[in-house]
Amino acid sequence: MAVDEGSWYGQDSGVSQVRGQLFEAICLLATSVGIVSVLILLLYVTLDAFEPLTADPGWHLVFLLTLVLPATLLAIYYYRSSDPAGEVAYVTTGLPIVGLLLSGGVLVVFAELLAIKEWFALALSLGAVGVVWYAHKRGRPSAVLERFGILILGTAVSVFGLPPTALARVAGLPKRIVSLRELVLELPYLPLSSLQVVATLTLPVAALAGLFVARRRASRRDGVVAAALIVTGALFGPVIDAVVGINGEVWVVLVTMTAVPVAVYIEGVVRRKEGVAGLAFPLVLVGGVAVGTVLVNALGFAGPDVWLDWSYLTSAPSTTPEEAGIYPALVGSVMLLLVIVAMTFPVGVGAAIYLEEYAPSNGLVGKFVTLIEINIANLAGVPSVVYGLLGLALFINFVHLPSGSVIVGGLTVGLLILPIIIISAQEALEAVPDSMRQASYGMGATRWQTTRNVVLPEALPGIMTGTILGLGRAIGETAPLLLVGIAASVGLAPAGFLDLTGAMPRQIFTWAFEPKPEFRYGVLAAGVVTLLAVLLVMNATAIVIRNKYQRE
Amino acid sequence: MTPDESTQSSASTGTQTTTTDGPLVDQQIDVDTNDARPSAETVIEARHIDVFYDDVQALDDVSIEIPEQQVTAMIGPSGCGKSTFLRSINRMNDLVDAARIEGELLFRGKNVYDEDVDPVALRRKIGMVFQHPNPFPKSIFDNVAYGLRVQDMDVDEEQVVEESLKKAALWDEVKDQLDSSALDLSGGQQQRLCIARAIAVDPEVILMDEPASALDPIATSKIEDLIDDLAEDYTVVIVTHNMQQAARISDKTAVFLTGGELVEFDDTEKIFENPEHQRVEDYITGKFG
Amino acid sequence: MSADTSTTEAITSPPEQATRERLYRYALFACAAVSILVTLGIVLVLGYGAIDFFQQYDPVAFYTGTEWIINRDKLGVLPLLSGTVLVTVLSAMVALPIGLAAATYLSEYASERARSVLKPALEILAGIPTVVYGYFALVYVTPFLQALGLPLGTFNVLGASIMVGIMILPMVSSLSEDAMSSVPDSLRQAGYGMGATKFEVSTGVVIPAAVSGIFSSFILALSRAIGETMIVAVAMGQSPQLISVADPLSNVFESNLPMTSAMVQLVQAENAGGVIYQSMFAIGLTLFVVTFLMNLASNRIAAHYREEYE
Repeated sequence: MAVDEGSWYGQDSGVSQVRGQLFEAICLLATSVGIVSVLILLLYVTLDAFEPLTADPGWHLVFLLTLVLPATLLAIYYYRSSDPAGEVAYVTTGLPIVGLLLSGGVLVVFAELLAIKEWFALALSLGAVGVVWYAHKRGRPSAVLERFGILILGTAVSVFGLPPTALARVAGLPKRIVSLRELVLELPYLPLSSLQVVATLTLPVAALAGLFVARRRASRRDGVVAAALIVTGALFGPVIDAVVGINGEVWVVLVTMTAVPVAVYIEGVVRRKEGVAGLAFPLVLVGGVAVGTVLVNALGFAGPDVWLDWSYLTSAPSTTPEEAGIYPALVGSVMLLLVIVAMTFPVGVGAAIYLEEYAPSNGLVGKFVTLIEINIANLAGVPSVVYGLLGLALFINFVHLPSGSVIVGGLTVGLLILPIIIISAQEALEAVPDSMRQASYGMGATRWQTTRNVVLPEALPGIMTGTILGLGRAIGETAPLLLVGIAASVGLAPAGFLDLTGAMPRQIFTWAFEPKPEFRYGVLAAGVVTLLAVLLVMNATAIVIRNKYQRE
Repeated sequence: MTPDESTQSSASTGTQTTTTDGPLVDQQIDVDTNDARPSAETVIEARHIDVFYDDVQALDDVSIEIPEQQVTAMIGPSGCGKSTFLRSINRMNDLVDAARIEGELLFRGKNVYDEDVDPVALRRKIGMVFQHPNPFPKSIFDNVAYGLRVQDMDVDEEQVVEESLKKAALWDEVKDQLDSSALDLSGGQQQRLCIARAIAVDPEVILMDEPASALDPIATSKIEDLIDDLAEDYTVVIVTHNMQQAARISDKTAVFLTGGELVEFDDTEKIFENPEHQRVEDYITGKFG
Repeated sequence: MSADTSTTEAITSPPEQATRERLYRYALFACAAVSILVTLGIVLVLGYGAIDFFQQYDPVAFYTGTEWIINRDKLGVLPLLSGTVLVTVLSAMVALPIGLAAATYLSEYASERARSVLKPALEILAGIPTVVYGYFALVYVTPFLQALGLPLGTFNVLGASIMVGIMILPMVSSLSEDAMSSVPDSLRQAGYGMGATKFEVSTGVVIPAAVSGIFSSFILALSRAIGETMIVAVAMGQSPQLISVADPLSNVFESNLPMTSAMVQLVQAENAGGVIYQSMFAIGLTLFVVTFLMNLASNRIAAHYREEYE
């Protein structure tokens, strides 16, 4: 074969190499353009919310030395060295943050929605039903329908009385069976409110934590010790209240929801001796902030003139920018979220279980099931504003629920994210290897037993991740809230589920049209950062859960 | 079709020599004639079973009587319906929407496909071990106890777990780590765990679908010894594509050939030394398959 | 052989367990059926509302009217449609090429490490609430563009459309990347084997092979842009304008009112139950039908594509 000397290689490659590199560069640029521009916008918002440039240079210097430098050095150290330390670092920092947010949520519920003693009465009445149900299960295990009836009827009687107060008044009945909940409320002497919280919140959490620890350490005794420690720590509440003045209930909630997960996690880390160095990170952060604050106060440096501070988070909106706050909208969002979770989690996961585990794939029912799946995929693509119309026409015009109430907003947004929850739960269930199901069926387990004992535990992290991401979407949705009448701006947080409420994204929308620049660049920025911070924590939690269980 | 070893039958009685491709050369198929168990009652009887997956026929007019407390092996090339037949016995095919069965399959005289038979209850009497070990992601103890809990059996869990693990020849290896995850065990150990799990609920029949095919030779031989012991207490029906294995451990052998047809079913000795049908002879001597 | 009675007993089902199992099955089916109820609800609500409206206002006038002035009872939907079309086209001009290029990079060029950083980063873009994007458009993007010298009003189409484009970017890039990754490696190998460069393989082999998946991602993203409400409600103002052929740049630099913000505006209007208010349902129906058809088309195309490689 004749070949021209040196001409089959090298001549064209110069041009095509340049072209190839240019193309790659353009594609890389494209990938980064969206990310970088959003990052810049986020930076702008944060700067506007916190106005760091208004602080003294000395203030910046102090915190640079006490906080930023040590934290960055430690982070670089983690990045260079073994991996577990870095992971331990961000989990130990993130867990308390998540715990604090959850505690905040619980405290907000107690402050606005349900007085502690009402919660106590409710918990006791539900607990009584549980005891009766368990006794029935032990005594007459085979009467399933009967037990189901007891569950429904018992809950109704115990919580609402027979017949419920409203109906009795309407029917004019003089006598009725008083509900257990009302009985408890009328007791002449109730235990201290912080102790009530201990009994109803801490005890179940301590029991769960104890079980968890017992399994991890393969020792029942250790589990009991852990549970006892938790309860004892919580019981310090009244003492702290008397001595230091921090609200007893706040202490109990903080211990239960923040200290417990962190302690359990740290116990695991210390026991496995993996990445213990990571535990230093949160200490460095907290220490840095503390030392920095002391120094700054001592040296008299002024801090930045932040828009987003504690008073912002706890005040109501106002026409004066400096006094405007987001508290009622925040509470509204929390309560909306409660409704959304209560509605979408059971229905969504139930639907996913049916579609994955129970649905036949042929025959008449099978065709109907395929229709359901196609339908769900389509629902996921319907614009959010149409869901708002649905909520408006269905819940407000047809069922006559109060316009702009928590329950209407929650149900509407719940319907919006229901398809998302179903789809992600389905994916999680699908990922469970079929061999596990076969093994379970082969041993004579029924479909429900297989689902509950084998499939669900395996799919649970995936389901949790999908749910948290779905809730993150729900918290930021505005269009349906607009159509359903959620208040543009509320002065008071809602006290019940039928009360008119605001919500964070709705409040942001209102502020966007305020003409004053302080609003547009200050208050609004603070609101946006608050919303984004909550979202960041939620998404980060979901991703951490997904990564942790995918590796396993 | 799985490639088969070529065989030459030798004139001497009782043994056949085979030559294989690969490292194991001149391996003998020993048919164990010494420990033949006494013939027994029929525990499972199939009468003219046909199984279809949509329009494809997987089993064609299979009739067989499986004796109690013996090891019955089902051999044949891949795709001939051995696993399908096995899964029809404990109605695992119910889980496949496209599967359709005709004919009768009797377990102690009762047709398991009758209207009033609950497949769940059936599987408590007829256990199954799968080709790839599939322990649950739980502790070893919880794996073995799973069947007990799911069937709400009123027994001393710890005792039953210990006995089952002993019968599965796994107790000594795991007795100190019952709470550790089953997934930490080796493949052979996991399969023995699955066997322990299956026998913990005290079934009458154990179905095994190529239980050792995913294991190394040492683990395989441990499983084979185990099967021999199991037949003391349970009826064992085992599907295998390894003819030497079938010859080693089974009392009776059924040969399935293309199209889901049960061509011959007889004492193992007879099948391997002197089968009635030419096709079976051809399969065993490796002329096809 | 007669049936062994103890065996028969053992393998027939205990009644209470069967009941319990059936209970669970029905309960779970009910959960799944909720989704059908939701769709039915949407269709009924929109249908009734639209019929109600069209009984009071001529549908032809509605769909061909070129003026949308609430106070004078002029309800022509064309200005709203043109607002929606403007936003969709502009955001497509941003999102589609950038998204496709990003997908190409992620699928063909990025290392594992880079992909593990960039993919989640793009997902974050999808997770930001749309009202925040609207805020960004209003408070940062528009002033920035104004500083560049463009004669934009405070509320304008350009800023909002750019943000809508960035919002739908992750959709395009993620779905297109999935489509491109599903192209079997053997095709790429065939290209390389013939002496093609990476650029030639990516643009000449992979992208054409993945074109239906890419196309379906485009349609989905556009449908999302059509249904987008908050960004346009915050950043685009409330003055409906027909597309002006005479002064094309005015379309982009001035404010406009797409269908979605029109609905928001209507619900905040004073007369609930009146004709004006009811028009919301007619607009909603139009919106629903358009996005539904687009999603259907996108699924069809994607399904067709999936068959080719199975």
